[in-house]
Amino acid sequence: MTLDDLTRTSGEWLRGTGPESDIVMCSRIRLARNLADFPFTNRASRNEKASIEAQVRAAVDAAGLDASYFDVNAMSNLDRQFLVERQVISRELAAGEGPRGVSVAPKENVSIMVNEEDHLRIQYMLSGFRLPEVWDEINALDDQLEDDIAYAYSPSLGYLTACPTNVGTGIRVGVMLHLPGLVANKQIDKVFRALQKINLAVRGLYGEGSQAFGDFYQISNQQTLGKSEEEIIKILTDVVPQVLQYERSARQELVTGRRQHLHDQVSRAYGVLKTAQTISSEETMLLLSSVRMGVNLGLIDDLSIATVNELFIQTQPAFLQKLRGNELGVEERNVARASLLRSRLAGGRAVEDE
Amino acid sequence: MICQSCQNEAVVHLTELVDGRRRERHLCVDCAREAGLTLPDAPPDLGLDAVLHGLIKKNVGELVGELAETRCPDCRLRYMDFRTGGRLGCPHDYRVFREGLLPMLQRFHGATRHVGKRARLRPGASLRLRLRSQLRQAVAREDYEEAARLRDQLRPKDQHA
Repeated sequence: MTLDDLTRTSGEWLRGTGPESDIVMCSRIRLARNLADFPFTNRASRNEKASIEAQVRAAVDAAGLDASYFDVNAMSNLDRQFLVERQVISRELAAGEGPRGVSVAPKENVSIMVNEEDHLRIQYMLSGFRLPEVWDEINALDDQLEDDIAYAYSPSLGYLTACPTNVGTGIRVGVMLHLPGLVANKQIDKVFRALQKINLAVRGLYGEGSQAFGDFYQISNQQTLGKSEEEIIKILTDVVPQVLQYERSARQELVTGRRQHLHDQVSRAYGVLKTAQTISSEETMLLLSSVRMGVNLGLIDDLSIATVNELFIQTQPAFLQKLRGNELGVEERNVARASLLRSRLAGGRAVEDE
Repeated sequence: MICQSCQNEAVVHLTELVDGRRRERHLCVDCAREAGLTLPDAPPDLGLDAVLHGLIKKNVGELVGELAETRCPDCRLRYMDFRTGGRLGCPHDYRVFREGLLPMLQRFHGATRHVGKRARLRPGASLRLRLRSQLRQAVAREDYEEAARLRDQLRPKDQHA
């Protein structure tokens, strides 16, 4: 699998399948792990980073993942950005230095970053709300990798990480939620404050510090020490359904109280996306969010959730440039984006209100 | 230096280019004002000391003694460097800086003991981290004989990988 192959496929996590997938885009768990016999990435020499990379690659090969390794150190900035947009690597890995890379399994469910803040950042994603399943998968993968890697671990502090905020289980359990209803009724901040009170973090689509984008929010644990993986997962599986309920009632309110207004908003968004000749990334996200909610509420048919989900990623700057095969300026990207949207949305139509 | 217009001490030193030629002027405050130059009334007190103190306190905490200067023998990180950079240097730091880290873990995680998945025991790994740091230091002081010896000790496992 090459980077160019990735432009022709999309991750399983965008399929829009699995429980609660009208709101839960995907469930994701990542584990931070380090090799016991090397300094952490930020203190490792170039040679040491190369050794770490070689050891992790050998372990991943031995685990039989059928994963492809991408050398992030050797690739262009555009390719790095492309992988960030796909959620396969973090901004930190893209901006890092020295030997580093990522192993990606065919459906992009699994990515293993090498020499990010920690030597390994193992990530497993599945579409819909199914954290226990994701845990079973990533836990088994972690065991396999451990056959060949001596992890930095202390019986009292658990898995040792470069930043003490990840020590212990090294786990981050998260769900990515689409919450346009709570944004529309302005209850979103209230929900976030409640989540923060119980030590859950809320971030935008692209992780730490990123702006909420297309009304997507990631909710994840912050504390990693003193609770088992299962306990941390249980916190999320207990709390997320409440957020889903708030979002559903916000949507219901919109449908019953302001149906005409909502239908108009969704149809206009859809119309603009299907016909625009040039469109910015920000406007695209805003309108796609409306359309996504419209599809879920039955205001648009002939358009699958998977297509809408994919468009959130495929209308990002680096993807468009990879698709075109060359670098594009802002204006050119806006034209390319509009063209992609017109061709991908040509088949769909808005539902007629009786 | 004396002001070019009067006999007071010159405090304004100006170099300008006039018709492609350098011209230097040295003036006292009053003559400079008279010449139409804008001067600040008084150097503003930026309160730098207070700002600096606040920053140090925020990043390093109250500790300024022994712990702040403690250095990990393996990765060479000082506790103070960790408090400013936020990242530890190697697995051994958790032991070396234990005294400073435990209260921090308690604050952030509400706990100081791991519960959950256990890694397999690898008795040799810690020694290898030590050997690697000795290798780095041998290379730094250009003791290539020692470096070669350490490399040989590390080699079997590295090749296995």
